[in-house]
Amino acid sequence: MLKSWKLKEIVLLSILSVVFAVVYLAFVHIGNLWAGLIGPIAYEWIFGIWFIVSIIAAYIIRRPGAAFLSEVLAATIEMMIGNAIGPRIILVGIIQGLGAEAAFALTGYRRYDLWVLMLAGFGAAVTSFAYTYVMGGLTALSPTYVATMFALRATSGMLIAGLGGKLLSDLLLRTGALEGYALARQGRIHG
Amino acid sequence: MTFHEMNPTIKFLTVTCLMFGLAFMYNPWTPLVVFLGTLALQTLFSAVSWRRWGLFMIPFLLTALGTLWTSLVFGKQTSGDVMFKLFGNDVTDENVRLAATLSLRVLAFTALSLLFTLTTDPKRFVYSLMQQGKLSPKIAYSVFVGFRFFPILKNELMQLYETHALRGVRLETRLDHIRHAPKLIIPLLAGSIRQAERIAFSMEARGFTGEPRATYEVVAVTRNDFLLASLLFLLFGVSTWVGVR
Repeated sequence: MLKSWKLKEIVLLSILSVVFAVVYLAFVHIGNLWAGLIGPIAYEWIFGIWFIVSIIAAYIIRRPGAAFLSEVLAATIEMMIGNAIGPRIILVGIIQGLGAEAAFALTGYRRYDLWVLMLAGFGAAVTSFAYTYVMGGLTALSPTYVATMFALRATSGMLIAGLGGKLLSDLLLRTGALEGYALARQGRIHG
Repeated sequence: MTFHEMNPTIKFLTVTCLMFGLAFMYNPWTPLVVFLGTLALQTLFSAVSWRRWGLFMIPFLLTALGTLWTSLVFGKQTSGDVMFKLFGNDVTDENVRLAATLSLRVLAFTALSLLFTLTTDPKRFVYSLMQQGKLSPKIAYSVFVGFRFFPILKNELMQLYETHALRGVRLETRLDHIRHAPKLIIPLLAGSIRQAERIAFSMEARGFTGEPRATYEVVAVTRNDFLLASLLFLLFGVSTWVGVR
């Protein structure tokens, strides 16, 4: 899978993961403060934050595996810099990354329109929710409450990760730093 | 024989297996025994600073409390005797059992995670993933680059704050700095992306091809690794037995 990747794309992937690992960790703390008060639902409406690197990396680099790898790397680095969730966070990263990757795989890695990016955010929400359902023991909660949690997470995934990821990448494109990556090349071909 | 010396990949797999196992246990005793047992093993086979452990534990204590009351108030309807009413929800003894299970599970997960995190050197973990886990060196070395990138990132951030200050942005308190942070993310990322390109070029210039290579640090697999792993699995076995009985 990595054979066709240029080294600079992999390093970019890793640097993006580092930057967002810091952001992720900051939001874990924000989420934790809330969660003590209003329970696990505190994380749901900001959950999209934790999918965003997948969307940004896939949108910029446009190669199979970008969404998955970036999320796993971000999770690994998050663990290294002190997320006490520890090794479990890597597992979470793998699961979320697969969800986002699925959306890009469905379109054959050819389309990177807004709806695909939002679908990727939705995909990550679905897989990560399945994980929460099992590990967090959500079977113990009332179905209405669980449905509310999922609706919040899916919306957050589509808006914060999908839409937010696109806006952020487009702003980055305007700085000119992305010359030499697929996103900038695509832009030149089409417009 | 300590958890610090244990092969990180094997440690990772063991701890993950235990956590997965715990997710299917719906009685309060299993997570409780795993929690206490992990602490015992940690005392016996590692030199972890308990002060640090305690600091890391605080947020998860909050999460456990949040989980406890959420599963009491929003718990699904179960049969059983109603013990008390909480915000209009009839709480049965079954609900209490589930709530205790879930919050103890949070604590058991955290204890296991901390056992891994506090005894594992990130660099050794990546080396071991590369040597035992067949992780691609391209990725492994990019992670190292990423990890070494933190000081650069911090410098860039300081520089951005200073540039903004020169242009007349007044940031007095720490809160002002935090509020200003979203405005820095684009320039910070743009700078980092340019750095990433330079780093990649210099890696290639020094002959890095992404092929497997000889390393100075060899992370071995020894008999002790399997001993420690089986101790953890034994703990899980005992806890399951206690829970089911």
